[in-house]
Amino acid sequence: MKRILINLLLMVLAFTIQTCIFPMIPFLSASPNLLLILTFSFGFIHGSQAGMLYGLFAGLLSDLFYSGPFGFYMLIFIYIGYINGICTKYYYEDYITLPLILCVANELVYNLYMYVFRFLIRGKLDLFYYFRTIMVPEIIFSVVTTLFIYRLFLFTSRRLEEMEKRRDTTIV
Amino acid sequence: METKRSKYLLTGLTVICILLIGITSIKDGVMEPLRTGVGYFLVPLQTGVNTVGNGIYTGLRDYSQLKTALEENEKLKEQVAQLTEENNRLQSGQFELSRLRELYQLDQDYMEYEKIGARIIAKDSGDWFQVFRVNKGSADGVEVDNNVIAGGGLVGIVTDVGANYATVRSIIDDSSRVSAMAMQSGDNCIVAGDLTMFEEGRLRITNITKDGDVKEGDPILTSNISSKFMPGILIGYAADITVDPERLTKSGYLIPVADFDHLQEVLIITGTKNTGDEEAGEEAGT
Repeated sequence: MKRILINLLLMVLAFTIQTCIFPMIPFLSASPNLLLILTFSFGFIHGSQAGMLYGLFAGLLSDLFYSGPFGFYMLIFIYIGYINGICTKYYYEDYITLPLILCVANELVYNLYMYVFRFLIRGKLDLFYYFRTIMVPEIIFSVVTTLFIYRLFLFTSRRLEEMEKRRDTTIV
Repeated sequence: METKRSKYLLTGLTVICILLIGITSIKDGVMEPLRTGVGYFLVPLQTGVNTVGNGIYTGLRDYSQLKTALEENEKLKEQVAQLTEENNRLQSGQFELSRLRELYQLDQDYMEYEKIGARIIAKDSGDWFQVFRVNKGSADGVEVDNNVIAGGGLVGIVTDVGANYATVRSIIDDSSRVSAMAMQSGDNCIVAGDLTMFEEGRLRITNITKDGDVKEGDPILTSNISSKFMPGILIGYAADITVDPERLTKSGYLIPVADFDHLQEVLIITGTKNTGDEEAGEEAGT
């Protein structure tokens, strides 16, 4: 219960930072997508079902912020949580290469989803331009951020798990 | 067992999401209560984080800008003198104008929209959309389709309102379309945001008739026939107007007046344009 609460708080915090702090930093032409990083890390560490629920919440937050069809972000975040959860069998602690590869793949999928459903359907065909000016910078920033966030996230998850175990044993 | 259950869950959630997307794209505003409810919790948080971040940022910036500020001060003083003189001149012009207006019984009301100030508390950090959120909502009299201005020019339009926040889509957003006109000639045109030109700080002007007289540097205002934008708000200045390949229309670029890079405070014009019926061909999309 406490774990869920802390994870939810973490997500709200990430969302706030992403929408309030990042746009203010002037030299940051692109900014890392913290919600995406958190969702796929969570799915990758804790498995499909947990990732899916986490994605649901992340998507909900995004949907609440943007106007437009409700559920648009929820859908993609749920799938990102779920699919990364499948990779959980290759999960080893302190193994950073796979998360980085996953990060690039997820960013690509997420941005292509944005492009196809928000731009391509309005007849904006210049994919290469969008790829160059929007997707690539965001991917680079996100990969760099993943290096830090993933470790931090791993650390907190482990601490929370320990705490929970300790409490369980005292109860028993 | 676990995987089977999560597969069912995935399918269920997918169906719910798609249903929601379907429902909300047909009928907007179904989720309004939920958005407002979460707004009560999220907006104070965003305001707080924004204020702290802003404080730190401005503190740092102020320090580095102190030197240039002194220099600038000198220049500005000079400018103030010039402007005072100019202002006097313009004021006498204004008196004359209002006198003449009275004579012609022109309604002056489009100059005097009711406005309230609002602070930007969150922006979309991704680069796909140019959407931001301000800290005034329906409790302050903001409604959907209210126009938003800053720095003397049009900034955007309110797309979504909660009790204590409003979401604004700026005119540089790729899906924004504003029906506009040239100030001098009165030719109608459409000002459209375009992501590919966003970095150059430009927007696209399209649909000027072939014989339209729009020249480089002409002020472009919101049009009288726009269904959602109040008439006569300055948007920006025309640039590089050329005749389209099919030789029926002209198009070009627009340099906006508002400085979208450093937006912090905006003015929201409360009250929406009342045209009686909706007008097609404008403000499509989200």
